[in-house]
Amino acid sequence: MTKNPSTACNLFIGTSGYSYGEWIDSGFYPDGTHSSNMLDVYMQIFQTTELNYTWYQMPKAPAIDRLCTKTPKNFKFAAKLTRTLTHEIKKGQWQKEALLYRQGIDPLIQSQKLLCILIQLPPYFERSVNFRNYLAALLDELSGLPLAVEFRHDSWVNDKVFSELERRKVTLVSVDEPDLPDLFPRLDVVTNPDLFYIRFHGRNARGWRSGNMQKQFDYDYADWELKEWANTLQTTIMPEAQAGGIFFNNHVRGQAPKNALRLIDLLIKEGGRQTPWTAQSFI
Amino acid sequence: MDRSIIHLNIADFAVAVETNLQPALKGYPLIIAPKGAPRAVVYDMSDEAFQQGIRKGMPLARARRLNKKINILPPSFNRYERVMKDLLKQTFAFTPLIESGRSDGHIFMDVTGSRRLFGPSVNVAFKLKKAFKKTFNLDPIWSVASNKLIAKVATRVVKPVGEYIVAPGDEKAFLAPLPIHLIPGLLKTDLTRLCEFNLFLVSQARSLTLDQLKIAFHHRAPLIYDRIRGVDPTPVTALCETQSTLQADHAFSDDTNNAALLKKALYLMIEKICSTLRNRNLHSGATKIILSYSDGLQSASKLKLVPSTSNDMTLFKKCLPLLDKAWTRRVRIRHMRLICETLSLPQMQTELFVRNTKETKQADLTQAMDKIRTKFGKNSIKTGLTLMGENNYQ
Repeated sequence: MTKNPSTACNLFIGTSGYSYGEWIDSGFYPDGTHSSNMLDVYMQIFQTTELNYTWYQMPKAPAIDRLCTKTPKNFKFAAKLTRTLTHEIKKGQWQKEALLYRQGIDPLIQSQKLLCILIQLPPYFERSVNFRNYLAALLDELSGLPLAVEFRHDSWVNDKVFSELERRKVTLVSVDEPDLPDLFPRLDVVTNPDLFYIRFHGRNARGWRSGNMQKQFDYDYADWELKEWANTLQTTIMPEAQAGGIFFNNHVRGQAPKNALRLIDLLIKEGGRQTPWTAQSFI
Repeated sequence: MDRSIIHLNIADFAVAVETNLQPALKGYPLIIAPKGAPRAVVYDMSDEAFQQGIRKGMPLARARRLNKKINILPPSFNRYERVMKDLLKQTFAFTPLIESGRSDGHIFMDVTGSRRLFGPSVNVAFKLKKAFKKTFNLDPIWSVASNKLIAKVATRVVKPVGEYIVAPGDEKAFLAPLPIHLIPGLLKTDLTRLCEFNLFLVSQARSLTLDQLKIAFHHRAPLIYDRIRGVDPTPVTALCETQSTLQADHAFSDDTNNAALLKKALYLMIEKICSTLRNRNLHSGATKIILSYSDGLQSASKLKLVPSTSNDMTLFKKCLPLLDKAWTRRVRIRHMRLICETLSLPQMQTELFVRNTKETKQADLTQAMDKIRTKFGKNSIKTGLTLMGENNYQ
């Protein structure tokens, strides 16, 4: 299943979350920026972000509505699915949670600011019969919403999985993470012609299983690594989809926005193409 | 800089601790209250009991009328404190700025300064919740906000289970639709007054200006004005700041209201604390007595010590009126606690010519007793007051 080759691919590049105090020290936010004003600054530079807090807490419609009101018309959010649907699943209760989630993110749908729902599955979510059945039921429950699935276990690298995602028009999240045993590898498979989705977690192999986010996501992408990705994006991935979400999760010391801006720069310069926003002025 | 405050709240803390020991009681209405005591009141109750109309401070007899078959367990304050201390040990791994009650299951943490070390505050809160559950089988409600007030309201909103993250800048909007009684720091009289004005929601109360509030609430108006707007500049008081205390406890084998027994217990506690103070070359600048009655209620009294002291007899003399002040009820006493606070190095001008005053004589006597005890054991020498226990008073 491929997209119409004549249409351009709209790219949405941003970071996983935007409210980090340490980004003031790294220079991304001006000195003295209050947490409450960070989104105002962020949305002048990027036009998309991942909502991380929706993983910790069921989204509440009034709070999401305030976010929608605050952001410009063309700003997009990728909202993480709540942990009670991915990591702490309770038999017989999760359907109710899915309904609550739908209600919580409804303002994003109404305002057309939802890029997709990010279903981030835990490392122990292997391709077993139980988990396969659950994932199928979850995708059914959330049908009608734009969905992206991020696996953290390599047992899901299977053509049957990819074709099923393709059949359902669900995006397989490509991940850039350390090359460690059992981890889902870096792939450039596009399963949904409407949207591809890439997450840059950083390649910090030593910190990945430290249990400390500050070590796990402490990585600064080298220029050659980003160039390699820019090339793959232009030659392999972008021709396959109408839109793409690219998010940098290496938030430590402001590396995520720095790398995101560099990737935008590379895509503009090397591809000679236009991104849907004017990134040039910020590089 | 914006602050990141985490509030961890273990709902019905005493019940949670007790049901961990007796899992069979989980899921059933349960009251923590002194059973045999006359006029006992409810100290804590499970959510199931709450649903049946039982409340903290309600007379036990009335609670029993609501549910005749309800399970009742006596409170064990020492156990709750021990668990609380264990919980705090876990939180110390993330920040030294921790504020908590002695045994109420509430912990405030300021993680503003440790974000670079441990990542976003939301993740720290979530990690602690998981750790509490795994290690102690206690499931706290948690919230993250920019100040203590908002964090506390957030946990109240989701009680008995859940979490709430109030994004910076969202404070006013978060509070607006809530009932005003959820705002901490407002007195019962404030709430009654607000109800008289038909102001039940925070958003309704906000319609009043500060000047208008002053007419009805006088000197409390600025506080109310700030609170309903989510303004709370009070810092999280570091535990180390409040830890410059020494305390001793005495649990009476039988609940008592015998004055001589209380005095004896008080003196024994003073001896214990003062001995530690002298060993550490410290003086106490303030003291506090907390009496726990057989019905679960507590009363306390506090006194500033000028000059500070570490002498048994001086402290006892000062504590006697303090005991009278704290002892306000006729209900029997189950437990007595003495706390010595504001510990500091003795700052006394040394006399050029030593005079034999009553204080110096007492200090010499105490010093001599310390030496005897060090050489021959703790019970080798006693004061008359502590000897008279069993024979004369029981």
